[in-house]
Amino acid sequence: MKLNERSVAYYATCSSPPDKTGFLLKKGDRNPAYHRRWCVLKGNLLFYFEERESREPLGVIVLEGCTVELCDSESAEFAFAVRFECTRARVYKLAADGAVAMESWVKALSRASFDYMRLVVRELEYQLEEARQGATSPWAKGRGKRPLVHGGGERCGAGGGGGRGGAHPRPTLCVSRASAPVGLQGSLSQDPEVSEEGVLSLGNLGKENGVSWNKPLGLANGVGEVGVSGMVWEGELDDGDGEIPPPIPPRRKTPGGSLESPVSPGTGCFSKLHDWYGKEVAELRVEWLQSQ
Amino acid sequence: MRFNEKELVFLSRQPSERAAELGMKGPKKGDVMKRRLVKLIVNFLFYFRTDEEEPIGALLLEQCRVEREDDLNFSIVFLDEAERKYVFECDSKEQCLEWIEAIIKASYEFMRKNLVFYRSEIQRLTGKDPLEQYGISDETRFQASSGLPPLPPPPT
Repeated sequence: MKLNERSVAYYATCSSPPDKTGFLLKKGDRNPAYHRRWCVLKGNLLFYFEERESREPLGVIVLEGCTVELCDSESAEFAFAVRFECTRARVYKLAADGAVAMESWVKALSRASFDYMRLVVRELEYQLEEARQGATSPWAKGRGKRPLVHGGGERCGAGGGGGRGGAHPRPTLCVSRASAPVGLQGSLSQDPEVSEEGVLSLGNLGKENGVSWNKPLGLANGVGEVGVSGMVWEGELDDGDGEIPPPIPPRRKTPGGSLESPVSPGTGCFSKLHDWYGKEVAELRVEWLQSQ
Repeated sequence: MRFNEKELVFLSRQPSERAAELGMKGPKKGDVMKRRLVKLIVNFLFYFRTDEEEPIGALLLEQCRVEREDDLNFSIVFLDEAERKYVFECDSKEQCLEWIEAIIKASYEFMRKNLVFYRSEIQRLTGKDPLEQYGISDETRFQASSGLPPLPPPPT
């Protein structure tokens, strides 16, 4: 298969800042020995160079659909492996020069996928939406908009882009599987009290709330809006093999500590909120009819 | 340059952001427009002969520029070789615009910029760093300017 290799190599060496660099021991492609390589992580690509000063990378590993785990190695200490899901896939064995470096690389590589970045971006889009609604009256934005949208049929918080089939691991906001869950994984575990109002999805971000950036970000990749014209969804949310759906993000709390909107009190419960919006819509409808 | 081809081919079979049959013309002088199945998956654009399972090739969509050529055509140009254009022909104006937008948004670096923007906006509005609750505030990839110095230019 062809690849625009020259441009890929350019990405490796261009001035955009890398996410991580350092020396790693890498087990050879055919040669079982470990070789010292200068490694540059940029986005979802891990480049490896023969030397730090080398002009061009020896190779690149595309970090999509992989897991990173610690492993035991007879030939190297502080070893870890990048494992892909496809059948007969290679396992890339790497080793750092110390425990701290190893942990740092494992974390960085685990979070390198495009899916993971997309997940975090969506999460922040949602939080920004919330923050903006808190900052201004909800009535300044689209009327009848539901800030809490039931997650059914859409990708909830931690879902990967495009609802990939079972073969593709769902990205989560946690650190590598080998290490103990840190912070995030704990907070992303299923909340047993989740009720309708607790299900937060990133839907309905709305083109109305276009961020003042140079592109309408309401149309960011993979946003679960079926209404966006031309979007082709080839996956299904439920991949049918019994895999557990991604964990729901934690309930967000306002500074007051409750889910209630500061503007519409008594609406901590979704059905009350729904009624409240419904009343406003009914009033508007009446006003309009009267003006005819 | 070596790359994990098998894994990339596997990636090309995953559900895509967008897929369609488009006309595609390579960047070389003699290249002609051919009908290809084009699939956008993460930051790669895969292209297939319309009846084949395995992709002919992939384009990494980083450090590139997407431009409208005319009503139905758009082009992708890579910054290191600006004279070489990949041209794509769509069936409609709308489809052309949709593809352009999709490809611009498909770059990892584009997402990173958004993230940095959102993060600072949320911080401005709420006084809190939204990434703190996830324990990822210090991750290099989420910084406005990476803690690491840019790579030195390659020796000439």
